[in-house]
Amino acid sequence: MDFRTCVNIQKEWDIVGARQFGRDFSKKLGFGIVDQARIATAISELARNIYLYAGSGKICFDEVENVGSRGICIVAIDTGPGIKDISQVMEDGFSTSGGLGAGLPGVKRLMDEFDITSKTGEGTEIRVVKWVR
Amino acid sequence: MNLTVDVQENEGKSVVLLAGEIDAYTAPKLKETLLSLTEKEGNKVEVNLEQVNYMDSTGLGVFVSGLKSTKENNSELKLVQLQDRVYRLFEITGLIDVIDVDKTVQGGY
Amino acid sequence: MDAIKLDLSHYRELLKQYINTQDESALYEAEQISKRSIQHNISLEEIINTHINALEDIYPELPENIQHSMSFLLEVMISYGLALQEFQDLRETQLEIKSEISVAARMQNTLLSTVKPDVEGFDIGVVSVPANQMNGDYHHFIHHEDGTVGITVADVIGKGIPAALCMSMIKYAMESFPSEHKNPSEILESLNRVVERNVDPSMFITMFYALFNPAASTISYSSAGHEPGFYYHAADDTFEEIRAKGVVLGVTDMAQYRQYEREIHAGDMVILLTDGVTECRQGDRFIESEEVLEVIKSFSHLSAQELVENVYKHFEKLQDFHLRDDFTLIIIKKDV
Repeated sequence: MDFRTCVNIQKEWDIVGARQFGRDFSKKLGFGIVDQARIATAISELARNIYLYAGSGKICFDEVENVGSRGICIVAIDTGPGIKDISQVMEDGFSTSGGLGAGLPGVKRLMDEFDITSKTGEGTEIRVVKWVR
Repeated sequence: MNLTVDVQENEGKSVVLLAGEIDAYTAPKLKETLLSLTEKEGNKVEVNLEQVNYMDSTGLGVFVSGLKSTKENNSELKLVQLQDRVYRLFEITGLIDVIDVDKTVQGGY
Repeated sequence: MDAIKLDLSHYRELLKQYINTQDESALYEAEQISKRSIQHNISLEEIINTHINALEDIYPELPENIQHSMSFLLEVMISYGLALQEFQDLRETQLEIKSEISVAARMQNTLLSTVKPDVEGFDIGVVSVPANQMNGDYHHFIHHEDGTVGITVADVIGKGIPAALCMSMIKYAMESFPSEHKNPSEILESLNRVVERNVDPSMFITMFYALFNPAASTISYSSAGHEPGFYYHAADDTFEEIRAKGVVLGVTDMAQYRQYEREIHAGDMVILLTDGVTECRQGDRFIESEEVLEVIKSFSHLSAQELVENVYKHFEKLQDFHLRDDFTLIIIKKDV
């Protein structure tokens, strides 16, 4: 899949860049302010995971369409250590942030679609979609 | 309900000074510290219980795990200066016959 | 997520009413909105968004800086709302786990159920109450064909589910022993090997095993590190600790147990218990065993069952109805 735009994540500051891009992009696609804020928060979580656990990676954005509805597709890709037990990190209350709604379960709640693939030693790819309502 | 665990290295032996209560809440912390010491090959570990005024059976479990670990790692475990109430637990459970327990005061540190 | 949306026009009217009158009834309505929103899982950010929209409807000329400040508030609330949702979901999970545990507890009760023997010339009372849902104490009566009764009182170190699981294992191990195998010392020696091989190193079990012979009015027993019980001598109205040497089950593979025997005289009592009885606490104060015995004595005119129940009620009350440990008490009284 060719993405329209990717934002590289290497420094903590890059998280802000990714949020900014995601917010502008979702505004252009017609999302309301609540959804814009939700999307930005999801991007923060994804980007922070890359920054904290993988060291570097990227967040890519694209527009998606499905029977008349438009949406935003965000893919977080890294080549970090990977996640050994995905069901564990998807458990509420598990996240290293102390289980305060953040982490991957939080991202899943904020978005409409959520998909994760990870290989130990090779990296992780998380794909999320939110539709304009 | 609190337990402080203080480890001092002294002339080739590890001395663990405990103060407070050993129960289901404080035992995991003690177990972690104790096993990290008994798992060192050939290490001599002395646990001072002078300041321990309460211990329940969970605490006994910690010392039994410690004992089993000494057998696997060729290390030694000794408990010293137990208060009467705590000593009684070791006596009733027959553990004084399998764990090195010295009720009397140890000098020298 | 927002199956039911907040009614914007209703919210707007209420807000308008309040801004104009500062009327308490509008605030009361606001409280109702808050409660309904919780009920219908309306997220925090959705409520703030409704507020922003209502505000913009009422004041189309709302200064830009105020608008920005509202967006800022919205952003702050997103993560907070998310955490709230997580808590709600965790609470649901907790309820599920709770109901699973109560099913397990019922199953344990069935698995470990035992029938109190009805023996001529003796009166027996039993009470066993778990501190949490699942009992780590265990007692069991085995009725032998020759009229003797095997009595087990045991305590798994630790409480809760692991302890309960361990108890089921013990019960089935004991049932697999041949029926002629009923000497307390032999039984403890065999069980010790089972526990030593099968249980986690930090887990062990204390057990008192007695073979009660009503016809001969004797009781023979061995103890694997179990809290000592008491013998009440009616003749001189004194209690004696039932001491028996032996290490807890599961610590060394070759443990040996001494067997003791005593005769039970008319009016005497054999008291078997777990440390949940002797380790009762009143606030920070420990109950001394003399106190336990005094309480037993004060109810000793009652039938054995009433006696143990009253002792339990006494200590339950003393500990503010919150047991710290599982509580098991068995009393065998010989009729006068």
